[in-house]
Amino acid sequence: MNTITLSELNGIILECLDRNLNPSYWVIAEISELRVNQKGHCYLELIEKQDDEVLAKSRATIWSYAYRNLSLWFEAATGQPLQTGMKILANVTVGFHQVYGLSLNIRDIDASFTIGERARKRLEIMKKLEEEGVAGMNKEIPLPLVPQNIAVISAPTAAGYQDFTDQLDKNIHNYDFRVRLFPALMQGKEAESSIVNALHAIFKSQEHFDIVVMIRGGGASADLDCFDSYRVASHVAQFPIPVITGIGHERDETLVDWVANTRLKTPTAAAEFLISGLKQFEDSLDENLEEINGMASEIISGELMNIDNYSRDLKHLATRLISETGGEFHLLKSRLGHVSKNRVNQMITRTIHAGKLLQKIVQGRLVLEHETFRRIGENLKLMDKSAILKRGFTITRKNGKLIRDPASTEPGEEIQTEFYKGTMKSIVKK
Amino acid sequence: MDKKKPTYKQALTELESIVAKIENENPDVDELTGLVNRAVELVKYCKSKLKKTEEQLNKSLEELE
Repeated sequence: MNTITLSELNGIILECLDRNLNPSYWVIAEISELRVNQKGHCYLELIEKQDDEVLAKSRATIWSYAYRNLSLWFEAATGQPLQTGMKILANVTVGFHQVYGLSLNIRDIDASFTIGERARKRLEIMKKLEEEGVAGMNKEIPLPLVPQNIAVISAPTAAGYQDFTDQLDKNIHNYDFRVRLFPALMQGKEAESSIVNALHAIFKSQEHFDIVVMIRGGGASADLDCFDSYRVASHVAQFPIPVITGIGHERDETLVDWVANTRLKTPTAAAEFLISGLKQFEDSLDENLEEINGMASEIISGELMNIDNYSRDLKHLATRLISETGGEFHLLKSRLGHVSKNRVNQMITRTIHAGKLLQKIVQGRLVLEHETFRRIGENLKLMDKSAILKRGFTITRKNGKLIRDPASTEPGEEIQTEFYKGTMKSIVKK
Repeated sequence: MDKKKPTYKQALTELESIVAKIENENPDVDELTGLVNRAVELVKYCKSKLKKTEEQLNKSLEELE
């Protein structure tokens, strides 16, 4: 048997590796563990997973001088620090230590891979949300006409929150905002659950709020992972009240920004947005009122003008009518005069004729009647006289005139006496 | 429904309907007065709801001191 010591074996392995391996490799791996010791050295555990199954695992290190630079640069590029869960593309050298075994040493990391990886994951979740039909739900909810009752999800100590409430409090229009804070962690591993819990709390009293505002101050360590979480995005997307974000970062949109009703860049911008919402409403009130006043004034001045016109027209008309009528009247009067005079004359003439005719007729008749009556009268007279004379009376006359009084005669005058059988003349003796 | 306390939306809708009414229906001067008064009432109501009261203002001023 050919026996060797362990260290000899390790030596063979080391030599073998040295001979067969490249100086370095660009490796894709996921960070499953990461810690930094006081000296500044970074110790990691890298794994490869398929679904949930671990296919490979390896230890890795980043020496402090390298880690210092790398971590700064990486965070600047991706907006996040190196952390577990992250998939990275790292340039590694394979090291085999006699005592500590195989280990990888990271000399460089390609941040764009991580960015791409992140973007890819984000896209994946976006697709998932779209397939579930929830992606556009919060966007479809119409923004409140007056966003006055506000539920805020934020860390109470965050500068962003202070700025936000200050701005709303001191707005120049003196609008009364009613803000209630639902505190949550806005970064770190616990942020996801914390935010979801806050959303649940708001949901329970949703009728008290017009709008939800999710804000966070910006900062050097912009750990935005929680805002790219499927859980948080899904909850926000399906939330029954409009959610607006002011997460304070310039970088590309997070998933929460994507599903939220409205995205603002910072907490300050979010406050401004709310204030302008109220201002818009107030403006529309004022505009409508102005229009009403304007139209009302027009109508009233129109009426006044109408009244003026009417009265002017009326005056004219009246004057004209009077003068016209006056003229007409005169005409009428004279016409009437002529006409009536003629008619009247006519009528009078006719009446006179008629009258004369009537007169004649009457007279005629009267004459006739007269004759008859006279004759009857005479007869009567005669008859009467005969009867009286027959009895022996006489009728004395002077000059044909009947006398009844002897005093109406003078001696010597002649009188006639009528007897039954004739007449006699006598002379008065006294 | 409590007509005395409309929501912002109801108030704005009513206000806009008053505008339309005046524009399209040619109300007479009496009706007009009624409409204008109602409009002013609505706007005053909304504005008082929108803004902080004197009381609140004074309180904040006190806090500043």
